[in-house]
Amino acid sequence: MAKYEKILLKNMEQPGYTGSLKEYEQTGGYQAFRKVCEGMAPSDIIETVKLSGLRGRGGAGFPTGVKWSFIPKDHPGPKYLCCNADESEPGTFKDRQLMERDPHQVLEGMAITCYTIGAETAYIYIRGEFWLGAKVLDQAIAEAKKAGYLGSNVLGTGKTINIFVHRGAGAYICGEETALLESLEGKRGKPRFKPPFPATHGLYQKPTVVNNVETLANIPHILNKGAAWFAAIGAPPKGTGTRIFCLSGHIKRPGNYEVPMGVTFREMIYEIGGGMRSDKPLKAFIPGGASAPFLTPEHLDVKMDFESLAMAGSMLGSGGITVMEEGTSMVWAALRLMEFFYHESCGKCTPCREGSSWLVQTLQRISRREGRMSDLDLLLDLCKSIEGRTVCAFGEAEVSPIVSTMRHWRSEYEELIREAEAAHPVKQEIPVLSQI
Amino acid sequence: MSEHTTTGMVTVTIDDVTASVPKGTLVIEAARQLGVMIPHFCYHPKLAPDANCRMCLVEIEKMPRLQTSCSTQVTEGMVVRSSVPTVKQARKSVLDFILANHPLDCPVCDQGGRCDLQDFSHEYTASGTKFVELKRVFQKEYFSPVIETQMNRCVQCLRCVRYCDEVMDVRALAPAGRGTLTKIKSFGVHELDCEFCGGCVQICPVGAITSRLSMYEFRPWMLKRTESTCGYCGDGCQMTFQAKDNDLIEVNSTLGVGRNNGDLCSRGYFGYHANVHEDRLQSPMIRCDGELVEVPWEEALAVVAEKLTAIKSANGADAIGGLIASRCTNEDLYLFQKFMRVVIGTNQLDSSARYGHMNGIHALQRVQGTHRWSMSFDDLLSANAILTVGTNLTETNPITALKVKEAVKRRGAELITVEALEPAIGTISNIALLSTHHLPLAPDQFASGTIGLLKAVIQENLVDAELVAHAKDYIDAIKKQVDAISWTDIEARTGLTAEIFQDSAKVFTRAERAVILVGQGVLRSQGGYGMTLNLMDLLVLTGKLNRIGCGLAPLAEENNDQGSVEMGAVSELLPGGKDCRSREAQQSLEAAWGCSLPSGEEGTLMDMLGKAKRGILKAMIIVGENPIGSLPPDSGIEDAIGKLEFLVCQELFLTDTAKRADVIFPACSYAEKDGTFTSTEGHTQAVRKAIEPLGESRPDWEILSALSVMMDHPLEYESVKAIGKEMRDLMPGTRTLGPSPLPPRPCLDTLTQYLQEGYQDTLATRYCLPGMKATHTFVLNVGQSIFHSGKFSTRAKGLIQIQSQGVLSMHPEDAERLGLACGDGVCLENQLGQVKTTVKLSDRIPCGVLFFPEHFDQDIQRLFAVSVDNDTHVPYFKCAHVEVSKAS
Repeated sequence: MAKYEKILLKNMEQPGYTGSLKEYEQTGGYQAFRKVCEGMAPSDIIETVKLSGLRGRGGAGFPTGVKWSFIPKDHPGPKYLCCNADESEPGTFKDRQLMERDPHQVLEGMAITCYTIGAETAYIYIRGEFWLGAKVLDQAIAEAKKAGYLGSNVLGTGKTINIFVHRGAGAYICGEETALLESLEGKRGKPRFKPPFPATHGLYQKPTVVNNVETLANIPHILNKGAAWFAAIGAPPKGTGTRIFCLSGHIKRPGNYEVPMGVTFREMIYEIGGGMRSDKPLKAFIPGGASAPFLTPEHLDVKMDFESLAMAGSMLGSGGITVMEEGTSMVWAALRLMEFFYHESCGKCTPCREGSSWLVQTLQRISRREGRMSDLDLLLDLCKSIEGRTVCAFGEAEVSPIVSTMRHWRSEYEELIREAEAAHPVKQEIPVLSQI
Repeated sequence: MSEHTTTGMVTVTIDDVTASVPKGTLVIEAARQLGVMIPHFCYHPKLAPDANCRMCLVEIEKMPRLQTSCSTQVTEGMVVRSSVPTVKQARKSVLDFILANHPLDCPVCDQGGRCDLQDFSHEYTASGTKFVELKRVFQKEYFSPVIETQMNRCVQCLRCVRYCDEVMDVRALAPAGRGTLTKIKSFGVHELDCEFCGGCVQICPVGAITSRLSMYEFRPWMLKRTESTCGYCGDGCQMTFQAKDNDLIEVNSTLGVGRNNGDLCSRGYFGYHANVHEDRLQSPMIRCDGELVEVPWEEALAVVAEKLTAIKSANGADAIGGLIASRCTNEDLYLFQKFMRVVIGTNQLDSSARYGHMNGIHALQRVQGTHRWSMSFDDLLSANAILTVGTNLTETNPITALKVKEAVKRRGAELITVEALEPAIGTISNIALLSTHHLPLAPDQFASGTIGLLKAVIQENLVDAELVAHAKDYIDAIKKQVDAISWTDIEARTGLTAEIFQDSAKVFTRAERAVILVGQGVLRSQGGYGMTLNLMDLLVLTGKLNRIGCGLAPLAEENNDQGSVEMGAVSELLPGGKDCRSREAQQSLEAAWGCSLPSGEEGTLMDMLGKAKRGILKAMIIVGENPIGSLPPDSGIEDAIGKLEFLVCQELFLTDTAKRADVIFPACSYAEKDGTFTSTEGHTQAVRKAIEPLGESRPDWEILSALSVMMDHPLEYESVKAIGKEMRDLMPGTRTLGPSPLPPRPCLDTLTQYLQEGYQDTLATRYCLPGMKATHTFVLNVGQSIFHSGKFSTRAKGLIQIQSQGVLSMHPEDAERLGLACGDGVCLENQLGQVKTTVKLSDRIPCGVLFFPEHFDQDIQRLFAVSVDNDTHVPYFKCAHVEVSKAS
């Protein structure tokens, strides 16, 4: 396990580490922020982050420095930073640990980001269920304020940086950045259509950066040790740094593991995770949270970085790896996820709203052994009509379990349908006029 | 976001047609201009794009995936394809999705036949759906007395929610629930409580939100459409009557038509039933042995002609007076005044414009020499600063209020509100919430607020430099007046410090285009004429009177108040707004009419009532007006009417006044006749006959014309068009239908005259603070409710279902102090009497103020004293000071 050097989880894995400001400072905490406050130009910080190759850890993997550079520099009036701590992707639980166990690491990253983009106010939009995280962050903010890292005139720079924790009310879609902003504004959590992008029209229509917790936690380290150091870790040039992966499912040692990008799934599952729980063979795994298409044992040697996974037909996503052993019904697995997506579809746009209900009902029917062979093409047709036609990326996410399980395990669907057809034979269909 | 920037054009190709459109145009709009109809549900030109229905997807070259044309702006060289197979397939799939849960209950859906979903389904999904699962079914829920929802039909385009928020600024609706279980709901656990503008019904592309007033009564193709003009307030909204079997079924409005541009208010949308109420008078009646009995037209006309002729020969023409409602058409008004002046031969005539609108007109005439606004509705939209004084705009002139909302919300205008309103969030919109500078006042202190603004202008040296050079005496005179009034006195009356007046005055002065809206709170209140003149002074002092895009706009409460003035249906004005004492005007009119004009003195409403009381005025012809209902008992109206020897009424209903008549002619409503109304901005618009006259009722002009024939002084016209022609010949510019005429420019000679000496005679009376109420008393104000207009609307079943009675509104803090709760009985008392009523709490009205809607309980009128304006003869009776106690 000591094979890879940890960055983000390093502090908290020290025995007795509580995450207090004092302890964080003892490990070199807030040094990066001090350095920045000593007069680093925002453009230099952005350049450093760009050079480090850091990409967003929330799911989409957008280069962080580039995102920051979109914020208009001379914009009069407020700009905002929002830390996306909604962590609602099933199978993902890394941000929770970062916030609960080492909150100042996140706060320092946020403070530096605020300094860089010129934001005086930042919000942490935290998943409603993370009550402990919210409490810990609140305490940490109070500590940091007292120590002069936050509040007015931070570290004598004359700048004001205030961070507020805002608890969500339990909607998956509020992890989508524009829905998050809507929710933060007190509105219904629904995605906005883009453009305009949050960089120019974000929170309260003001320039806004939305970054994931893990992304922000990386910032102090990059500034401390330099872009070159970070860019050398992992799978450069496109997958730099480490990544916290959340292992769950039929695995011996579920949990969060920080490894450099580019480690293979085989190593992750069999070495780091200790292999399959019941030593049955691996049947399938989801590589990056519920929105990422399923992969098969054939893909075990795929490297865990953005590009390799994209080539394998899936995505690195949020870093949640769910492992399934031989004997798991893939129709059931797809249905389980589809039920989740149906429940969470916000209802804003037609294909996602109506499509998720249609897909889930059809899958439930197949799974009840009441399906028909024609349902399979219908499912794929529906998926095709949802993908790329929705306001946000939820559309792509919700079809991925069906499309990917159908790609790899279509026979399991057919098996259930054959059973259905045997039990309830197809009657003579009434011919449609055009077919006579 | 939907405004189009017109800086530069771009070339765009849509379905192989190339054209130039303004940069920033949305693809869907550009397509429409090119004749390509892109199907859509959620897009609406009035609303910011939401791109939720995904029906308008198109293929755009160089863009990945299909794009929503409702949210994409055209760029130079853009190539759009809207009829390629991928696009068609996408549309079909969106429809498949929508139809999955749509109930297909078209046979019982009121939208059937004019439903976007039906039309698009017909076009794109010829075959059936592949959906074999269970449809989602919502339980039917009661929504409101006038609006019906059927959420199973909803396509979740959220147009209703967005309209309610973006256009109306009401926010009564919201989506509740998630995914397919989303429903449009009102807030709270009670039924919908909002402005009931009907906008959600009209903007719904399917049958999810419909009107309960016409539920199951029609199929769209059975309806006969008639374009007409609304008969409630002076905003002059264009609307369409939909009639079936000589009955009014519903009212619509159309995007792009009229100043209202598709919007209506509750009165316009749900108030049409007043026209066809079952109590309508349907045949002439004469009084026989104290009872009113129905008689044929010939008999009733003969009785009136004979009686009027007799009175005229015995007591002279000035023994007969006439009064007409401003709800009548211009043609009715014109013929009425001609009848009075020519057939009767008297100047004893007036209209209901006297109740307040005349104050605005006289002020305009005095200072700028016009009898119309010198600005237009469009100037409201492009104003940089808007000052409203005593308007209660959202309730009295809801469509004007929409323009103000748009100016503020979309165009960033600064809004100064001097209103008897608190900025409280409520079930109806509140203009005070949008204002940048809000000056809440008691309704009897608008004069103090106005003087505060003027004092700030003088004190802060905001006076226009050019004016300083030309009109030093005028400025000095006003300075002398305002200097004599201390900020302490103003603060004591308004509760506002000098600062807010100074800030407001600066905002107003700084604005390139500044507009003043003057409402009933000023025009109908004590000293209304003086206050309006003072506000004109504000325009003059800040150098805005003669500037394009600036002006003062008195808002008319009744639909044709402005028409009454322009048609000369008031004592002191001849047609065309000309002074009746001007020899020149008299001569030109005499030449046109071929007869001489009466030489007797003028007689306004209050003059006539005084003369009636003294037995000098013997007979009155009252057309559509109900002075007993309008004036408080203190005016002695009952006595005056009771002393008349002979009273003729032309009426729709047996009103309190008509009950006293000796002869009643049944008139028909504006839905049953042709003609024109002139809106508050001076735009003459067509009124068209939607249904045949009920029973034997006739248009007012026909009745007057018939009477003139019987009185041997025939004013005969073939049709209403012939009257229109005479009017047009006499007054160029009148009855030009179509786009509204350019507003008149202020007459510089009049202005010069005003600056030299015209301002002097009234100066001392109008630059004077009103008295203060005793601390333990309340200011009781009667005024207009958003759901009603006069007494007429109380016959509309839709509006009565929304608001059926008047209750007294009181601020919760006052109520708490008096130990009152919502629904408690209260006793109001002053020197004029004691009245019991019910109280309701509203944080919309200021502390120390009580509000009662003027449409209902007549009893409360007993508390109001009447005073008459020396200059304009307007009777004031809207405010009283009362003591309040809990009723035992």
